[in-house]
Amino acid sequence: MADLKKQIIAQLNLKDLKPEDIGDDQPLFVEGLGLDSIDALELIVLLQQEYKIKLANAEEGQSVFRSVRTMAQYITDHQGKAAE
Amino acid sequence: MYLRAAATISPKGSFEQVLATTASVPGIRLACAEPDYSKLIDTRMIRRMSRIVKMGVAAALQCLNEAGEMMPDAIIAGTAYGCLGDTEVFLQKMVENNEQLLTPTAFIQSTHNTVAAQIALLLKCHNYNNTFVQGGFSFENAMTDALSLLKEGQVKTVLTGGIDEITDTSHAILKRFGLYKREPFTTDNIFQSRTRGTIAGEGATFFVLQSGVSGNDYAQLMEMETFYKPASLVEIEQHISAFLKRQNINRSDIDLIISGENGDMKNDEVYEKLYQSVFTGIAHTTFKHLCGEYPTATAFALWLAANILKSGKLPVGLLLKKKPSTVLVYNHYQFTYHSLYLLKAC
Repeated sequence: MADLKKQIIAQLNLKDLKPEDIGDDQPLFVEGLGLDSIDALELIVLLQQEYKIKLANAEEGQSVFRSVRTMAQYITDHQGKAAE
Repeated sequence: MYLRAAATISPKGSFEQVLATTASVPGIRLACAEPDYSKLIDTRMIRRMSRIVKMGVAAALQCLNEAGEMMPDAIIAGTAYGCLGDTEVFLQKMVENNEQLLTPTAFIQSTHNTVAAQIALLLKCHNYNNTFVQGGFSFENAMTDALSLLKEGQVKTVLTGGIDEITDTSHAILKRFGLYKREPFTTDNIFQSRTRGTIAGEGATFFVLQSGVSGNDYAQLMEMETFYKPASLVEIEQHISAFLKRQNINRSDIDLIISGENGDMKNDEVYEKLYQSVFTGIAHTTFKHLCGEYPTATAFALWLAANILKSGKLPVGLLLKKKPSTVLVYNHYQFTYHSLYLLKAC
């Protein structure tokens, strides 16, 4: 998850944050890190670029991008499928 | 029309630095002295802003703060190159990722109207918002629009400005076109180099324009005019003479001309000849050793004129018999885009 946090910081240019500043279960959007819809698109690009995972259903986004932990779980669940 | 406030981010940090600067330049590319943006712009918004967007937004906010007007009736920008940095990122990603997986931020921010839009977003200003992209007339057309709105009485306060950046890529391309001098640069004073090519520049300059006098204005903008691709020097002289005649201004009424020599011997010939004809005997100074050459550089010249008129201070080496009260700005960009601004002290 530490690597994923680093990737999120780099992709979203969150210069003021360090990986340890982001809690594993901290909400990424609105009340948590305060990300918005453009950031959601950036996170979709990150999943494709770094993990070759395409978000199959846009409606999944809300649950996938809830926190770093939910993103990491989604990546773990789908990485094998992406490689197939 | 009155220049209520003026702010610039340029290769020189402040008007005081400008006053102390000689025609000596450090190379063929002048980069802006950028402030600490975190003191001016919300850090949550900075992370998405490219360099030119930060420069433009910061200059605009400084200007609005100075005027004490945080909700202008119109926001009008002029830019020839637009947001080159983000355009380059976007195009680079297109190539690297085989036209897939494009990052949305660079794409969204690469449009020419990003600066004016970001200012409006920051201010939550839903008023008139426009950006002019017309080469060496981009700033002039933004000014024309601003003055038209004010003259028609539709608005009272307009934020208007000119913004352009130079990036490594654009500099390399324009250098190949022969726009810039070849290094090593053999003389300190670019205006005495007698060679082809100029020095690259950039900047973000904004003004708050108002139709009424405030009592604390930089200057009164009497009139401005543009003319496109004059066929000869005679035609340029005719345009200038007609402009001054319409303003009931004689040569002797002009205390100072700020003109756009850029160190390119062909470019500067125009000014040299004008100083032997329509501008004979008038004190003059240059500005492109301070900001470099770029399509919206006249915004910087206007900022310089406004500051000279407000402070009464003159750049080093320039001596006048009296404190200047009437200043004329004349510039041409690549022989094609000519502009004149007449300003008076308030």
